[in-house]
Amino acid sequence: MSGVAVALNGVRKSFGKRVVLDDIDLPLAAGGSFVVTGDNGSGKTTLLRILAGLEPAQSGSLQVDGVSLALADYPDSMRRRIVYVHQHPYLFHTSIADNIAYGLNARGDARAHREHQVREAIGWAGVGHLLQVRPDKLSGGEKQRVALARAKVLNPTVLLLDEPTANLDAEGRHQVVTLIEKLHDAEATVVIACHDKELIGLPGMHRLQLDRGKLR
Amino acid sequence: MDLIAPTRAAFRLLFSGDAELWHIIWTSLYCSLIAIALITPPAVALGFVIARAAFPGRRAIVVLVQALLSFPTVVVGLTIYMLLSRHGPLGFLQLLFTPEAIIIAYMVIAFPVMVVFTLAAVQAADPRVFETARGLGAGRLRASWTTLVEVRFGIMAAVFNGFGRVISEVGAAIIVGGNIAGLTRNMPTAIALETSKGEFAQGIALGFVLITLALAINAALSVLQGEGGLK
Repeated sequence: MSGVAVALNGVRKSFGKRVVLDDIDLPLAAGGSFVVTGDNGSGKTTLLRILAGLEPAQSGSLQVDGVSLALADYPDSMRRRIVYVHQHPYLFHTSIADNIAYGLNARGDARAHREHQVREAIGWAGVGHLLQVRPDKLSGGEKQRVALARAKVLNPTVLLLDEPTANLDAEGRHQVVTLIEKLHDAEATVVIACHDKELIGLPGMHRLQLDRGKLR
Repeated sequence: MDLIAPTRAAFRLLFSGDAELWHIIWTSLYCSLIAIALITPPAVALGFVIARAAFPGRRAIVVLVQALLSFPTVVVGLTIYMLLSRHGPLGFLQLLFTPEAIIIAYMVIAFPVMVVFTLAAVQAADPRVFETARGLGAGRLRASWTTLVEVRFGIMAAVFNGFGRVISEVGAAIIVGGNIAGLTRNMPTAIALETSKGEFAQGIALGFVLITLALAINAALSVLQGEGGLK
């Protein structure tokens, strides 16, 4: 690990009077793997969603490439560098390949480059045999793998995975854990919110405990 | 009343290629399709915005649009008549008693129907659609478009229902179109006129076309929603 890829500073988030995140500082080392644990409702998902710019915070800033940005001014371009994968990923009602290509299309990548990247991502996630299957017919594990491919294809600086193995059967869980292990070889910083002991125990994983609004 | 003879006469008219009858059918389709094509973008956009955005006055807009649904079409026709009449504020356009006047009336009539259907479709959309698109780097516009594509069967229902509403509309079309033969006479206005004259053949023929269109629209929607229902 070297340097800080992205850092959250002074993040505060509350729902009504309930403070979920209380002045959180979270420096994420480039290429590092982190797992955020905590009780249900402790704010793990909220933390990831704030980091991805999908949820507003009352205060706080995001530091990227030495530049500090107020979270309130989260730029669209950052969403291509910090990608969030939902616990129950939504796959668009189009082909698997088009789902994987979505972010590249949004980024305006050239077609040839896009197709090459998508082919690589399909191979990486091992979903080549699913290309003719409608997304709504995929199992939970298969959807999660397609969603991982869709996120990884963007070569994000930070990949945020929210409970990626929750509610999966043994086979699906095994396949997703294998993919997450493969992410160690990628350059991305990976942050996983979960309770999964297997994920927590993966080699090189740094554990962060979220407890009563504080990271410990 | 003898129904057999006028029905036979109606089918003879239809299948003999009667020029007047087919012009009436063409006027109906032309006015309805152009009106729907023109009003779809703003209606879908407004339906999307009031479904997704929180802003002051949103509730009032929803109530107003829902109220417009039950607005009598003859009142829509009367309002547009006054606007387009020679001494009205838009009289200089000289559109009264033209197909364009009917198109304007149809747009006004279809608008609330399409807004409400779009609103319902977008509100029923999975909230993860917009968020997933944004999370993958899509700007607000692209993410909004993606959401509309994901609820495309609901949007189609909006379009088809808007079309269904105007293709059978008679009150406003008579007022602003004048029911002029060869120019603004369309299927519903022709049926009203022919029936008042006791001439049932053309009315039955046009009624048959209207019912066929209604069935075709509903069948198409059902097939398309069947595809969408597979999600």
